[in-house]
Amino acid sequence: MDHFFAEVVYFAPAALFNIYFAAASIPLGFVFAVFLALGKDSRNPLLSRLSRGYIYAFRGSPLFIQFFMFYSLALSLNISVWKPMGISWFVLHPLFIGPLVLILNTSAYTAEIFHGALRAVPRGEIEAARAYGMSWPQQFRQVIWPNLIRLAWPAYTNEVVFLFHATAIVYFALPVIGQQKDLMITAKELVERDYNAFMHFSIAALYFLAVSLVVFFLFGLVYQRLMRHMPSRPRMRFAPKWLR
Amino acid sequence: MSEDIAFWLSYLTNGKHLTWYASFQFTIFAAVAGGILAVVFGLIGATLKNSRYLPLRLIGTFYSSIVRGVPDVLFFLFFPLAFEQAVEWIWASQVCTPEMIAAQSAAWPPCKAANWILTTPEYLILASVSLGLVYGAFATNVIHGAMRSVPHGQLEAARAYGMSTGQVLWRVQIRQMWVYALPGLSNVWMLIIKATSLLSLLQIADIVLWADRLGAPNFLPAVGLVHDDWRWRYYLVLFVFYILVTLISEKGFNALMRRAGRGMLNEGHH
Repeated sequence: MDHFFAEVVYFAPAALFNIYFAAASIPLGFVFAVFLALGKDSRNPLLSRLSRGYIYAFRGSPLFIQFFMFYSLALSLNISVWKPMGISWFVLHPLFIGPLVLILNTSAYTAEIFHGALRAVPRGEIEAARAYGMSWPQQFRQVIWPNLIRLAWPAYTNEVVFLFHATAIVYFALPVIGQQKDLMITAKELVERDYNAFMHFSIAALYFLAVSLVVFFLFGLVYQRLMRHMPSRPRMRFAPKWLR
Repeated sequence: MSEDIAFWLSYLTNGKHLTWYASFQFTIFAAVAGGILAVVFGLIGATLKNSRYLPLRLIGTFYSSIVRGVPDVLFFLFFPLAFEQAVEWIWASQVCTPEMIAAQSAAWPPCKAANWILTTPEYLILASVSLGLVYGAFATNVIHGAMRSVPHGQLEAARAYGMSTGQVLWRVQIRQMWVYALPGLSNVWMLIIKATSLLSLLQIADIVLWADRLGAPNFLPAVGLVHDDWRWRYYLVLFVFYILVTLISEKGFNALMRRAGRGMLNEGHH
């Protein structure tokens, strides 16, 4: 039992890497996704096609391949671009390129969620806003956005949980530098040493489960706040779905 | 011009490239076997979740929520390892003598005689089973929902005809639930396709591993540098390949859904 707790402590710094990758990609991914969703819904055919294609490509291909592709692309540009600029240590670092690819990936999934919500915004409310003479930015700010985020929040919570799960493959595609190891690499190295697969993988799994539960709890609080005008506030349950 | 074509033809059909093309079979096998197993595990899980007995219901719920709560890649690595160790442990309890165990210096297996050496076919089967187990949990959720969408009157009518519980389940409920399950199962299928990119983590020389080998800077003493780092081009090909597979699957599922939905009252498609 002592051994178990000692190992839980041993895994804690590794969990920070997974949390870093998720936390670093959520804010930018969120903002990028809003623009992509608006782009997909846009009446400009070029903008709409581009956003549609982007979302389709990144949702339709494995994240694992995306990691390899962008990392090898960055490597091939190293001598001609990054080295002369003196930033290759930064651009090629997993802590930079990891979140970068995750942002590109999660924004596509999130944009699809937001686009669905955007289309579900009640038409009557937008018409009423227009009848009041609101400009488009006003409409978006006062009517569309509040509706959109409430409709999309449960699915977005789900996406954040799966984004966190997706951080498990970062270091299978990118090089491990020194002691910068995430949960999966730590578990794998320990298993290679003493073959105790049940113990090490269970502890990694516990961390993923625990952080998923915390995400559900925190995002549930935000959802309660978003829904505070409702007579009975809907609650969110821990139920990762197959959106990803 | 014709020299260029000749060069590219011979480059793209050299031995390594042919091995790369052949390695697509592993990906396709894992996807198809994983997909079938996911449906099988999904059916079992959903039946357990619907069971009248609390312990069975708990097992079904536990399976579908725990597996969905951890990353697929963790399970994907864990299951083959755990299975291999379990087999070696049982094997060791049969063949190992105390002297052999004392002579063993490594941490595992217990003695040298009980060492199960896995090669590509075994790993491929284990990988398919773990894909099936992981995505079976997602399919459980889909099928469980679909089974509850089957109109209640249908089940009551079947019961009124004197069918047993098993007959109602197999002949009426499972036969009718596919229409409701198809959209969700199509999503699970897309997940499985994307997860097949992870095969190289189980030491299978799949399309990803070969793309890496082929793209690495290629130097031949006779010719000199054939090409420098071309890995991103090979990964781009895989990127496009997966998008195309997704596109074709989507079209296929849409056709299937149209076909399965014939004669059904559906409110979803106005």
